[in-house]
Amino acid sequence: MTASARALGLLAVVLALAPLALPPFFLQLLTEIAIVGLFATAFNLLMGFGGMVSFGHAAYFALGAYAAALLVKRAGVPMLLALPAAPLAAAAGALLFGFFIVRLTHTYFAMLSLAFAQIVFTVIFKWKSLTGGDDGLLDVWPPAMLKSPAAYYYFTLATVALSLFVLHSVSESPFGYALRSVRENPRRARFIGINVRRLQLLAFVISGAFSGLAGGLFAFYNGSVFPDFAYFTKSFEPLVVALLGGAQSFFGPLAGAFGFKILEWLVSRQWPVYWPLFLGTIVVLVIVALPQGFVGLAGGQGWRTRLIRKS
Amino acid sequence: MADPTDPQELVLQTIGLRKHFGGVLAVNGVDLSVAPGDVRAIIGPNGAGKTTLFNLLTGDLTHDSGRIYFAGEEVSGLPPHQLCRRGMGRTFQITSIFRRLSALENVQTAFLSHHRRHYNILTPARRLYRDDAFALLERVGLQEQARKPSGILPHGDQRRLELAIALASGPRLLLLDEPTAGMAPRERHEIMALVARITSDTGLTVVFTEHDMDVVFAVARRITVLHQGSVLTEGSPAAVRANPDVRRVYLGQLTSC
Amino acid sequence: MSGLSVGMFLFLVSVGMSLIFGVTRIVNLAHGSFYMVGAYLMVTLVEVLPDRPWAFWLALVAAPLGVAVLGGAIEVGLLRLIYHRDPLMQLILTFGLILVISTLVLLVWGPDNKSVSRPDALAGSVLIFGQRFPSYYLLVLGLAPVVAVGLWLIFYRTRWGMLIRAATVDREMLGALGVNVAALYTQVFAFGSWLAGLGGALAAPTVAVALGMDGDVLTTAFVVVVIGGLGSFAGSFISALLVGLLQSFGILVFPAVSIVLLFAIMAVVLIVRPWGLLGRPEE
Repeated sequence: MTASARALGLLAVVLALAPLALPPFFLQLLTEIAIVGLFATAFNLLMGFGGMVSFGHAAYFALGAYAAALLVKRAGVPMLLALPAAPLAAAAGALLFGFFIVRLTHTYFAMLSLAFAQIVFTVIFKWKSLTGGDDGLLDVWPPAMLKSPAAYYYFTLATVALSLFVLHSVSESPFGYALRSVRENPRRARFIGINVRRLQLLAFVISGAFSGLAGGLFAFYNGSVFPDFAYFTKSFEPLVVALLGGAQSFFGPLAGAFGFKILEWLVSRQWPVYWPLFLGTIVVLVIVALPQGFVGLAGGQGWRTRLIRKS
Repeated sequence: MADPTDPQELVLQTIGLRKHFGGVLAVNGVDLSVAPGDVRAIIGPNGAGKTTLFNLLTGDLTHDSGRIYFAGEEVSGLPPHQLCRRGMGRTFQITSIFRRLSALENVQTAFLSHHRRHYNILTPARRLYRDDAFALLERVGLQEQARKPSGILPHGDQRRLELAIALASGPRLLLLDEPTAGMAPRERHEIMALVARITSDTGLTVVFTEHDMDVVFAVARRITVLHQGSVLTEGSPAAVRANPDVRRVYLGQLTSC
Repeated sequence: MSGLSVGMFLFLVSVGMSLIFGVTRIVNLAHGSFYMVGAYLMVTLVEVLPDRPWAFWLALVAAPLGVAVLGGAIEVGLLRLIYHRDPLMQLILTFGLILVISTLVLLVWGPDNKSVSRPDALAGSVLIFGQRFPSYYLLVLGLAPVVAVGLWLIFYRTRWGMLIRAATVDREMLGALGVNVAALYTQVFAFGSWLAGLGGALAAPTVAVALGMDGDVLTTAFVVVVIGGLGSFAGSFISALLVGLLQSFGILVFPAVSIVLLFAIMAVVLIVRPWGLLGRPEE
């Protein structure tokens, strides 16, 4: 039992007991943190482990949210059956777009992912008859048994915990090792026999699927879905969260989600309109003040402790 | 070339390999035959086309015309990862390792890929092929460094690690691009002694390019001399040393010849 | 007609964005914000200046200059610190600027939409081919070739333009030749910002000046720049015209898919020629 495993166990107990002590508002905040944490962790499978920075992950979040919401609204499918469609739809989108995106690298990778996300946004925005356009889809609620903040909190917590377990397994699997090798050195990775593009595409699809699941969870939490879910500002959320929390460690984005959401709540409560200013300033400062960028941010502590851990 | 071996048994063969960049013919009709167990040096003055030829062999560049056979099968135009799967291992002129992974993880990852486990997304990788990786690290003298991030190892150790990565893919042909680049003279002989030991243990075929003629003549069994993109001559070290054309081409360019 | 003038605003914004990328290699996501600030400055200047015929024109000159100063300050204060860094960090930084600028605009100008009345001389409309067009659009369309030719003259007939073109090809060489590259970067960034500000100031009387106009123009300008080729002046020009026309006719013919089509074209260009139609491939 390592220290981090003990810490995780303790965290699980605290989170499980939270509804006994906290008012509904904080349960909703924790629910949001869990969802953003899942989104950012899924995103970070690409950035932190694969060295691929997507500027369009809102697309997969939105595909998941809309897939689930449309099934409930237009086809009358019950929520518990609609939710699994979220990761599936997002994975399909990620497979289609990712096929092209992984052909490019660095800035062009980022820009093409952004372009595809804008396509998703525009389709959602314009296809009024299906998606409701700007008005979104309203009344997307879970069944009565999950409707209370505490019930949906538990449901989200369980789903996110399971997803994080799967993502963590992925990151520590042979695939995760291969993905890291591609991040470090694609040329060398090819010459240990890895088909780099195919590996990147698989990572893209896995990341997209869990982003979609986060979107689906958020749709039922929010009770509605809007085109904003796919807008480019949404794509920066997991990026900023992962950046704040530390992109190189698996649980960094989760910590980032905690910090991000609590900060957002504190700032917005006090000065509602200042939040973007605050966030933008933090982003600018973090970037200007961390001379080594992602690598340095990650490199300081994370990778050393991760590499030199006892096995 | 003059090699009498049956083409089916050659490890590597090229026929009329050609590559140009713009108007410059970097590789101009190279015929190369490498028999199993050979330790072949490819030498030539700067600009002779060694690096280009190397990159054509490893699939990093595609040639304009000609054919490449590897173990009796045509491999022209295959991407690097497929060449690797067929048993071609390589090291790079500029050390190419996974710098933020530990030495052990570097080699483990190569083993995982070699055994086609790299699409396995759920089983933990940490213990997989760990013993094999340790054994290989021990063989190249890095057992003490196994847990360190490879990027902080001294240059010589990184070269050894890269050799271990290449060996983990279980190659029958090892291509080494300037294996002693940037090393002190003593280190050079150590690493080439290591290569020689491994090849004699395993019967591995090696093709390498090298600037240091001491190293070349100490290790190579046969030598191919390139000049202006073509093969000037090929033969045993003694024959190449005695060849007047080689002397003429190298005169004034290399003192150690 | 309005489509053409939209193409003109787009051109101004995207040529500035493209210019900045060409020289500094920074994809400035905040470029739409500069456009928005230009429009808002126009609103304020027209309000503040005395109600005389020349006021509009003075505002039209001053507002873009204000944006140029803003751009120059951002370059000196922030971007200069991160040129050597991962390009993705630069992208994220300029994204952070979007958030900062949009909130500041909200705080300064408030949440309500603003409008700028057209100058009296151009308030009416004219008959062309039996159709009525607001005369202000004629001004915008008349300015288009002036600006295009002006830019061409600057790029191809001045020493400064020559330096800029040299910088897009080989920055290290330029530094080695003794050119003050840091100052050139600042000038280029300020000039690119000025172009965006001019676009915004010119657009102000034709649109509702509102929060959110930054994102709209950014995404379209982004498409223009990528299709035309990052860093290519001619590419941006042609591509802005194409996109402007496609947008205006597209909205008439197939309103639902025109913008999707735009992004699809951009995606295809990125896949086939990531450096754009007239751009140069990276090393």
